[in-house]
Amino acid sequence: MSATLERGIHAFKEVIDAPVASFFSSCVRCGLCAHACLFYTETEEPKYTPIYKLEPLRRVWREEYSFWGRLTKALGLSKPVTDDMLTEWETLVYDSCTMCGRCSMVCPVGNDIAYMVRKMREGMAASGHAPAGLIGATQRAVTIGSPMGVKLPALQAQIRHTEQDIGLPIPVDEVGAEYLLLLSSMEIMNFPEFIGAIAKIFNQAGVSWTISSEAFEATNSGIQIGVSDIAAELVERIVSAAEKLKVKSVISPECGHAYMAIRWEGPNLIGRPYSFKVVHILELLDDLREQGRLKTTGKETQRLTYHDPCQISRRGGVVKQPRNLLNMLAEDFVEMPESGTMNWCCGAGGGVSSNERADELRLKVFNRKKQQLDAIHPDAIISACSNCRIHLEDGLEEYGMDMPVLSLTETIAEHLAGSEQPGSKE
Amino acid sequence: MTEFSNDTDFRKALDALDATQQRLVAARFVENVIALCSDERIARVIRSASDSKASEGELVDALKTARATTFDCHTRCGSEGDWAEQAGYFVARAATAALTPLGKMPSGPAWQAAMSCRMAQTSMSIVSGDDTAGQESKQQYRILSEFLDS
Repeated sequence: MSATLERGIHAFKEVIDAPVASFFSSCVRCGLCAHACLFYTETEEPKYTPIYKLEPLRRVWREEYSFWGRLTKALGLSKPVTDDMLTEWETLVYDSCTMCGRCSMVCPVGNDIAYMVRKMREGMAASGHAPAGLIGATQRAVTIGSPMGVKLPALQAQIRHTEQDIGLPIPVDEVGAEYLLLLSSMEIMNFPEFIGAIAKIFNQAGVSWTISSEAFEATNSGIQIGVSDIAAELVERIVSAAEKLKVKSVISPECGHAYMAIRWEGPNLIGRPYSFKVVHILELLDDLREQGRLKTTGKETQRLTYHDPCQISRRGGVVKQPRNLLNMLAEDFVEMPESGTMNWCCGAGGGVSSNERADELRLKVFNRKKQQLDAIHPDAIISACSNCRIHLEDGLEEYGMDMPVLSLTETIAEHLAGSEQPGSKE
Repeated sequence: MTEFSNDTDFRKALDALDATQQRLVAARFVENVIALCSDERIARVIRSASDSKASEGELVDALKTARATTFDCHTRCGSEGDWAEQAGYFVARAATAALTPLGKMPSGPAWQAAMSCRMAQTSMSIVSGDDTAGQESKQQYRILSEFLDS
């Protein structure tokens, strides 16, 4: 057994906790998870059945922790996990799974398959079976602080230019602010309008906020690749900045997996509760709406639909908030079939988007989103995740569909009432 | 001569233009930063966008090309960003905005194009380290003034 394989097997054993063991022993092999996974439905290849993607982990569980598995291993009758097997499974675990969790929703015995994939990636990464794109992103996240290599001077330049454009200050390192805003590198690089939109909305609502120069990155490549030590280190950076600035809440931006990482996985990764709350930007905006602090004017007349980012809606529970907000903005809102917690993934989450090897498959399975859109014929799609947004644009282009993809936060900023700021539509 | 000194008036003037005028002035904004985009398709697209007599078919084709260029230029999530290439992405995005029909986006095409052009300059300022905040907006005020007075 090679040293890397040994490390991988060791990591598999480490991650097999009570839930994973009970999930494996509960699986009734019904195959329902296959029909919940867009990689299976759009290819009809059995290897894309979610539970099958976990076969190496299941084998280790069986050999190490089940009576019959131990017996067959002792008799030399079991099939051990090999390097070749992990090489084959690398594409199944990283290219054809976005950890969207739709499979977990339909499992009749309640197995959280997405949780198990997350765990399995720990062993895959430890054995050297992770995609190059994700390895690079993780290295940059650790050394630079951003998976895309965004450094502080770049953020400062974006802030300076945004301030110039909107005529409002963007607070940085303000001790005692109520909220600490995190940003994804995607927002800083591809959608810097998001920063201005936040500034305009918070100015109207009277929200006290700041950005940290020491920890502005919201994303967590450690979770995507499956290295908990790195994931914990990235969470610690945010916790440290939030404590230093004495904020009451941390805002997760329009990024799906960032919300999962900082809100739900974070305290478990670092092994202690936070001294602050974590809210998704849509939760905060909806709270402001409810308090009468968010006022908009005019409505979008085009037919709009909302794409639920998996980690925000299905895994995160933020389902009604975007709809409350859209109700303020949309004259003609239409739900996609199977929207909300059962929405179909865009196909690019869970690190798939940073894995160039997965491009062909990612665009093929976008056909599922196309079917959802074909059923309602919207004029535009609104979402709340930069990664979903860019992949939706890519998929629409691939399938020759002509409709813009908009950010919910940015669209709200366009409709702010009573604003004298240049960026508002009024 | 019409003069602008702030974005509020600038945006109001842009939003008051009809669809063709918005496209034409947006094309001029893009021409002002086109050197930041190395993809030759954008130069062709902008030639169509700045043609006041361009047919609907030509504009639809140009929009398709602009969009395809934008997707080719964007920095994918998790990959290492290059701000010089990112400047090209924003120029392509500005060209896409210039050709997008009125009413398809929450903000008007010309304003959207102006903003993307400024983002292209910001991206280049990140590469060079020069603080160019405000310079592109002043040039856009001048471009709009000349357009309205022509």
